[in-house]
Amino acid sequence: MTAITRSLGNVSTVGKVVIPLLVLILVVGPLVTVLLATVIGPWVVGVANSNLGILRFVVAITGILLFSIPAAFIIIYMELKVIAYMNLRVGPNRVLPAGAAHSVIAGLKVLTKEDFSPTSADKTVFTWAPVMVFLTAVMTFMVIPFGPGLVGAPLNIGLLYLFAVGGMTVVGLLLAGWSSFNKYSLLGGLRSAAQVVSYEIPLTLSVVGLILLAGTLSIDSIARQQAGWVWDWFVFRQPLGALIFFIAGVAEANRTPFDLTEADSEIVAGFATEYSGMRFGFLFFAEYVNVFIMSALIVTMFFGAWNAPVDINAVLGFFHLAPFWVYLQPGELGLGLLLVIAVAPLLVTLALSAPVYLLRDSMPAWKALVVGFILFNLLVIGALGLAAYIDWDWVAGLVWFMLKAFIFVFVFVWMRGTFPRVRIDQLMGFAWKWLLPAALLNLFITAFAIVILKSAGIH
Amino acid sequence: MTAPVQPHYPHPSADDPRIMLDAQIGQYEQVPPYPPRTEREAEFYTLGDGEMFLNMGPQHPSTHGVLRVVLKINGEKVVDLDPVLGYLHRGVEKLCENSDYHHIISQIDPLEYVSSLFMEWAPVMAFEKLMDVQVPRRAEYIRVLTGELLRIASHALFQGWMALDLGGLTPILYSFIERDEIVEMLAAVTGQRMLFNYFRIGGVNGDLNHEFMSRLGDWMSRAAVQHEANIGLLNENEIFVRRMRDIGRVDRDTALRMGVTGPNIRAAGIPFDVRRAHPYSVYPELEFNVPVRGSNGGGDSLDRYLLRLDEVRESIRIIDQCLHEMPDGPVMARLPRLMRPRPGRAWAAVESPRGLFGTYVISDGTDQPFRFRIHDPSFVHLQLVGMLMKDNLIADTMAVMASLDPVMGGIDK
Amino acid sequence: MDRTLRTRLAAKLADRLTGPIRQRHDQTEIRIRPADLIEVMRVLHDDPELEFVILADLAGVDTGDTMQVVYHLWSNKTPDWLRVIAEGLPRGDPRAPSLTGLWPGAEWMEREAYDMLGIVFEGNRDLRRIYMPPDYKSFPLRKDFYLPDDSARGPGGGVRHVEEPYAPLAATTRSIRRTVKA
Repeated sequence: MTAITRSLGNVSTVGKVVIPLLVLILVVGPLVTVLLATVIGPWVVGVANSNLGILRFVVAITGILLFSIPAAFIIIYMELKVIAYMNLRVGPNRVLPAGAAHSVIAGLKVLTKEDFSPTSADKTVFTWAPVMVFLTAVMTFMVIPFGPGLVGAPLNIGLLYLFAVGGMTVVGLLLAGWSSFNKYSLLGGLRSAAQVVSYEIPLTLSVVGLILLAGTLSIDSIARQQAGWVWDWFVFRQPLGALIFFIAGVAEANRTPFDLTEADSEIVAGFATEYSGMRFGFLFFAEYVNVFIMSALIVTMFFGAWNAPVDINAVLGFFHLAPFWVYLQPGELGLGLLLVIAVAPLLVTLALSAPVYLLRDSMPAWKALVVGFILFNLLVIGALGLAAYIDWDWVAGLVWFMLKAFIFVFVFVWMRGTFPRVRIDQLMGFAWKWLLPAALLNLFITAFAIVILKSAGIH
Repeated sequence: MTAPVQPHYPHPSADDPRIMLDAQIGQYEQVPPYPPRTEREAEFYTLGDGEMFLNMGPQHPSTHGVLRVVLKINGEKVVDLDPVLGYLHRGVEKLCENSDYHHIISQIDPLEYVSSLFMEWAPVMAFEKLMDVQVPRRAEYIRVLTGELLRIASHALFQGWMALDLGGLTPILYSFIERDEIVEMLAAVTGQRMLFNYFRIGGVNGDLNHEFMSRLGDWMSRAAVQHEANIGLLNENEIFVRRMRDIGRVDRDTALRMGVTGPNIRAAGIPFDVRRAHPYSVYPELEFNVPVRGSNGGGDSLDRYLLRLDEVRESIRIIDQCLHEMPDGPVMARLPRLMRPRPGRAWAAVESPRGLFGTYVISDGTDQPFRFRIHDPSFVHLQLVGMLMKDNLIADTMAVMASLDPVMGGIDK
Repeated sequence: MDRTLRTRLAAKLADRLTGPIRQRHDQTEIRIRPADLIEVMRVLHDDPELEFVILADLAGVDTGDTMQVVYHLWSNKTPDWLRVIAEGLPRGDPRAPSLTGLWPGAEWMEREAYDMLGIVFEGNRDLRRIYMPPDYKSFPLRKDFYLPDDSARGPGGGVRHVEEPYAPLAATTRSIRRTVKA
């Protein structure tokens, strides 16, 4: 024993760390592996198999939480940059090229700030209100299909769930406004209560026509019914409904021109006036997550969800062609595949670096090779992405969905840069005097049309 | 040997009125914590059923400076309001009474920091009247030219502020394009971007230079078109127009009785413009209209906004005429450096972008004025807010205030 | 200078003027007693030959031994500014009638004159300090109020506390020297 301690005393500091670790790995590692393989693994698999629903839920909610943060970051950055260009400014330009990590750094800044709560605030409610706002926003994500089969919880009453959970946001905002012990916050909270509750009604009613057409409350099935060409999207069968849904959605997300709850020139920051640190971060994130959700919903309901605007099968059929993936079968290459994997990277890298080396005198060979290698990697990533897009319909769906959703996010940002704010009486008057009758009208017209078409025997 | 005088700092004692005030805090619970001093204050600080106070400012995003407004609100409705001034008070009048006549020009410059040439113009005119100085015609033309340029800059900024107070983010940056170009242009001739310190008793400090003229020519070639393009973003916007129409209506009689001047009185339908009502400088020789707006015997926020846009067009016309008709010659009258005007009194008023800006000077024969009084239009206009805001919504408070275009630097002196 | 205005004013206000009507440059000046202020202003405002509808300015003046309130008026009937000086307010207790009945917009200007010079306008329903804090005691624009810089020129030669409210200085040699018949 003494010999071991003495020899340990002789080795360097790094060695003192590495050697015990080495021992640990060599001894404990195999043991754990054996245990995993024989006992724990089968047990875990068994439990997972018998609780597949719960497991799916846990994975989905983790995925959604992980997704919502970067999505919010991207939208925040987008808003900063797009409005900056609309204002003829440069916008964020410090962290990473074009300030791409600005919103991430801002998020870290929010984390490091003092978490201040006013003396007379109701501390418990004050703390939990932002969490509630954020969670309701994230919970709505659960039923939104990002691609075919790519949905957290494929509920058959998805729309009902959506409006039920979405309506809970207002409770969080009201609590935040009330517990802050600030008159501006109180006004902001009351405004948000009035606004969100009023716009909830036209928002819900505008979709009823669509439900009549689709015959289902399942968002997934509504998405599937819009497959095919552009004109199969519901926006062309429910234009008025889509318009009402969009306007009410802007109000639901508390965005300009309906951002009365945090009108900075009137009530400072509304319900968020007294918030700081991460509590404010939650409210802030929730706002942008809401923007994404509203865009995603508009896309899902009216703009073809994940479906591409072009029916690729119909196009191929027109030219009497089979789908691409029939021609591309890597399995048929056999031993040639191995050869391609071994040789192709080298050859393609050389081929890509050759023009760089030849065209630029000052370029040393190794630099040209590095450039070639990077180009090769980009090429491979592109090719793999294309293959994934062609082979897996959920990848294609995700791409189209995100593309369309972010177009609507851009519209939201665009409106922020353009419009002044409406007044509270104009806001309420618009909801009750214009949007609600219009939504009802839309509903009746749709119902009549369906009845007439059915009685005429046309589908 | 006299003993040095000890500075006297009052120690708190039982008969110190300020100590008494503290004792009364429990008695009067409402804000502010002292017995109401006037009838009006007692009325304002008494809450009715369902009403509460909302303290806007002095640190608020849109009070145009350091203004505090105490609102008495019932839900979203403003019942009454009480502007509390003085957060920017620097005692400029007292400072001016203790500086010599040349020095005053730079003392009074930062009053209305967005249109400071007009702040120089009025006292300079008053001093010229005191000293019977004849200003060279070229200097007068230069004053009109630079003044009208600054009027455009000020109105451009107003337009942006107006939109910002209604929640529009973008227009203020578009307005700043015009303002920045004009201000850079003036910086070329005066050496400063905001507080120009350019007018002198008997003329101006330095003739127009090449950079100014080339920038001005460049800007004039596109000014009118650019102006129309900038206002397109807002004037066609339904939300903007609806937020402004029929809000803050001032009728003709109220406008006269409340001492309103400038664009605000012209928007109410009364063509009172000091440049025409009491002509000064070379304005009688220039052709321009006094734009008037207002319907149903009064003007609302939208009228006030549109009138300022009309004024920008007229200012462009005036600048054009100035450039064509400007004579050659000296830009300063021959005057002694030390000025001791004979005892007397003089009043001079100019039409600043906000209205009648006047100064009243009493000379006692020394090199400093005995009394120097500054009349700022924003100060008078801010009184209107309380009257206009009754039974309107909180959201309109800032919008109406912005449409009156007050600048706190001038109000608080 | 508008000579006709002089005759018109003399005809309308002859008995109320305390001094000659003076005219210089574009200004015509009349002097009245503070007690007559409301009646004079009413005549100036309502008379169809005068019609001074715009109150351009209201200024308080401390001449060193008395106080004045100076009004500047504008009318469409004359090219001149009219200056109305209500003179002879005692420094110890300067009181003048308020013009808020005629021009409600004079309210704040009167508040300012009260705040800066201590002139009390009887009838103004909101006569409280407008710039200075409510517990402030002195009147900064009076001639016996000193800036810190003045201390070197003052008799004591030491630093005076600006907000010294309890022992107001008597008028010093300098302010007496500068007392003029304004």
